[in-house]
Amino acid sequence: MPEAHVDAETRELARQLAAVVGEAHCISDPAELSVYECDGLSHGRVRPRLVVLPGSTEEVVQVVRLARAAGVPIVPRGSGTGLSGGARPTTGSVVVVLSRMRRVLEVDLEDGWVRLEPGVINLDVTRAVQGRGWYYAPDPSSQSICSIGGNVAENSGGAHCLKYGFTVNHVLGARLVLDGGEVVDLGGPAPDTPGYDLLAALVGSEGMLGIVTEITLRLLRKPEATRTFLATFPSSDEAGDAVSGIIAAGILPAAIEMMDTLAIQAAKAATGLAWPEVGSILLMDVDGPLAEVEHTAASAIEIARRAGALEVSVPKDEEERQLMWKGRKSAFAAVGRISPNYMVEDGVIPRSEIARVLREIGRMAAEAGLRVANVFHAGDGNLHPLVLYDARNPGEEDRAVRLGGDILRLCVRLGGSITGEHGVGAEKAAYMADMFSPEDLETMALVRCAFDPDARFNPGKVFPTPRLCGERPGPYRPHPAEVAGLAERW
Amino acid sequence: MTPLRPAQAEDSILGVAPRWVAEPATVEEAVETMRGCARDRQRVAFVGGGTDLGVGAPPAGLDVVLRTGKLARVVEHSPSDQIVVAEAGLPLAALQRTLAAHGQRLALDPPFAERATVGGIVAANAFGPRRTRHGTARDLIIGLSMVRADGVVARGGGKVVKNVAGFDLPRLFVGSLGTLGLITTVTFRLHPLPEASATMTVARPTGAQARAVVVALREAQLDPASVTLLAGPDGPSLGVRFEGFGPGVRQQVERLAGLGPALGLRFDLLDGAGAEAFWARHELARTSGAVRVRLAAPPSAVAAVLEGAVGPLTGGLGPGWATFDPWAGAGFAGGTPTDTGSAVEALNRARRALVALGGSLTLAAAPPGVRTGFDAWGAPPAAIEVMRRLKARFDPEGRLAPGRFVGGI
Ligand SMILES: Cc1cc2nc3c(=O)[nH]c(=O)nc-3n(C[C@H](O)[C@H](O)[C@H](O)COP(=O)(O)OP(=O)(O)OC[C@H]3O[C@@H](n4cnc5c(N)ncnc54)[C@H](O)[C@@H]3O)c2cc1C
Repeated sequence: MPEAHVDAETRELARQLAAVVGEAHCISDPAELSVYECDGLSHGRVRPRLVVLPGSTEEVVQVVRLARAAGVPIVPRGSGTGLSGGARPTTGSVVVVLSRMRRVLEVDLEDGWVRLEPGVINLDVTRAVQGRGWYYAPDPSSQSICSIGGNVAENSGGAHCLKYGFTVNHVLGARLVLDGGEVVDLGGPAPDTPGYDLLAALVGSEGMLGIVTEITLRLLRKPEATRTFLATFPSSDEAGDAVSGIIAAGILPAAIEMMDTLAIQAAKAATGLAWPEVGSILLMDVDGPLAEVEHTAASAIEIARRAGALEVSVPKDEEERQLMWKGRKSAFAAVGRISPNYMVEDGVIPRSEIARVLREIGRMAAEAGLRVANVFHAGDGNLHPLVLYDARNPGEEDRAVRLGGDILRLCVRLGGSITGEHGVGAEKAAYMADMFSPEDLETMALVRCAFDPDARFNPGKVFPTPRLCGERPGPYRPHPAEVAGLAERW
Repeated sequence: MTPLRPAQAEDSILGVAPRWVAEPATVEEAVETMRGCARDRQRVAFVGGGTDLGVGAPPAGLDVVLRTGKLARVVEHSPSDQIVVAEAGLPLAALQRTLAAHGQRLALDPPFAERATVGGIVAANAFGPRRTRHGTARDLIIGLSMVRADGVVARGGGKVVKNVAGFDLPRLFVGSLGTLGLITTVTFRLHPLPEASATMTVARPTGAQARAVVVALREAQLDPASVTLLAGPDGPSLGVRFEGFGPGVRQQVERLAGLGPALGLRFDLLDGAGAEAFWARHELARTSGAVRVRLAAPPSAVAAVLEGAVGPLTGGLGPGWATFDPWAGAGFAGGTPTDTGSAVEALNRARRALVALGGSLTLAAAPPGVRTGFDAWGAPPAAIEVMRRLKARFDPEGRLAPGRFVGGI
């Protein structure tokens, strides 16, 4: 219900939105709004003006039209598990939550695809088809809670993306609601739709082009065999050598994950696994046709041994295998057991630099007087340094933030990236200028302007400096909104 | 600025002659040329190896052709990171030779590898039979630098395979046919060269049988590198290729052979020379004929594609060829028609059949007579308005390859 203490404009907008989505799905109560102040990053909270939970594409269209008429920005939101502040509200925004739209609309195993609404949870896609031997490949560690809409917006990855690719390699089609309320369909079950690959531009655009209300995903037949092994090493030097050796031997594992001592300690504390507290652990999957898998698993184990593995263990059954993976997948949360506070970073380095970078991170952490636990996708050089700190100690949080930033800049210096899978969002917009020139950013902004010239959707994200979509390049003319001081950063 | 030379007849694109040709020797010179074109409002089109210039419609008008052939350096190859940065004008075969010395390859295999350049392959979204497992340029590109219509140099993506920083400019340029900007360098992820490879064929399968083979491969959880139906004057054949380590390839060959009886088909394992000949015949098929088209449809519709599209085309385009990947849902058809009227009629029938299946048919080559009666792209796609807006942002004056692309873009 519209509340007495909000301004008249917001009350009127709430009334109109409630007429579209139903009273129960339009939130204006401050206590309830506070749930939507942040995503998976708990700092930097901003209370939205209103929150709506539409139930269909038609409702989304009307919500967008009303927000546009009121001149109010829109922040799309899935499950709110993002780790870069992507779904963090912009001041004065309406947050459009897609979690009610969670129907699986159509499954076609003849051509191997599923059409669904954006609020469907990642793991539920596989659950819908695994009985028939199929699955959806991208597997973010948050897969039991994050939405497919969020995955599409972030181009999410996961441990098994090394072999199978990221979300962008598995999205066949999408329905998108634009700022004018137009509904456009991109792609579909047949390949090679003529024209620009707008679908590729949409995946990873962090909710800045429109609201995705339907998605068609590619499904895969389960591989015949999977072999898993866990190898322990004295330090990340030997583990890094093992990774390089395996890749150099022409093996493309389904996943190679690496954890350092601190991360191992945390995972043990959280799961009760009896892992030795060594310098480094590698957890690896190879999958595919049986003989190929047996051959590559045997060679990879041999390479790990030669690189200096202390011990190589192979799970005796599926249950033990799942337990090993649980140790890895729970690592983020597990770090909470060994530190009052922590920050998850997400940088990428060329794989061959792993050992050197880990040493350098260790040195930087010591200098900052902080601890960093490392758990990461070693096969593609995607680091997740977990910067541990205690917010009760004055200045420590700031030092942690600075250390995180320095680690990202190190990644860029080595030819890597400031984000491998968590996105830029609000949190990393400032680092974009370390990785891209003003011209690069301006060119990316052209894409945004083609879809959303008024910057309705998710303003203030990804780009480090305010930008407006001029009608034409040429001599600089200030936009009327800029003159009036209303320009949004985006 | 690089000197422009007056254009010759062979510099024309689909019969449209430019006035000038530029052949920059460095990326810096290419930037200079683009700035010059911007200043003088010249309409410009880019040419790499010239192997796929028949794709799309003729330009609406042209002042300058910029040839990328001298931008042919491998800028960086990092074998241990499995990435390569190459200049746009580097021929694919030259790149593959550099990579092979380190046991690696770019898993793209479009035809005319000696001439087709990496920039052209990206711009035309060219692909070959390894699409079955490795996909297209979209699945392998990780970074790109470009010069925009206004002469501004920009870059997207990066040098690491996993990277979600910023909007995905590299993939947006795949298949954009030179209408958004000049590609100057491309960065790809690489794959190891397989230790072993084997090709098996089935003689004269029907569409339904080709489909049954795909289903059987999937149910048996095999992992083919290529599956291709090749339809020619002496009847169709189906080729299935496996690549990987020796033991894996051997086992997959045995398993597929074992599936034959249940399918009522015989799988013949080709020897090395036989396999080479089969894939050479495939490449010849998809590149011969004065009229050539690209076909796309949902993969399971292979029988309907054969009947509704390949049938009319192989008839109407003269004794023609067709290939179709029943795993990926993409293929080619071509022939040299003696009669323009029946060629256009066959093209229209085939396009209607594919569109009805949710797919498409686009021109890859055709003489002017056929082009007057048949649009290169067909009805504009659902998102055409957004595409026009995108083009207007990147090239507001419409100077880059004007009229070549979908919907007159
Ligand atoms: C413990 C933990 C582990 C994680 N592990 C991984 C991992 O392994 N790999 C990985 O990639 N990520 C990981 N993440 C990050 C996060 O789960 C992903 O980014 C996920 O895709 C976000 O999905 P969501 O539904 O929560 O989206 P939200 O956080 O709600 O939103 C994310 C972005 O998507 C936009 N958005 C959401 N829905 C739509 C829509 N329908 N249309 C348009 N825009 C939309 C939002 O505006 C926002 O910009 C992890 C997070 C946590 C908390």
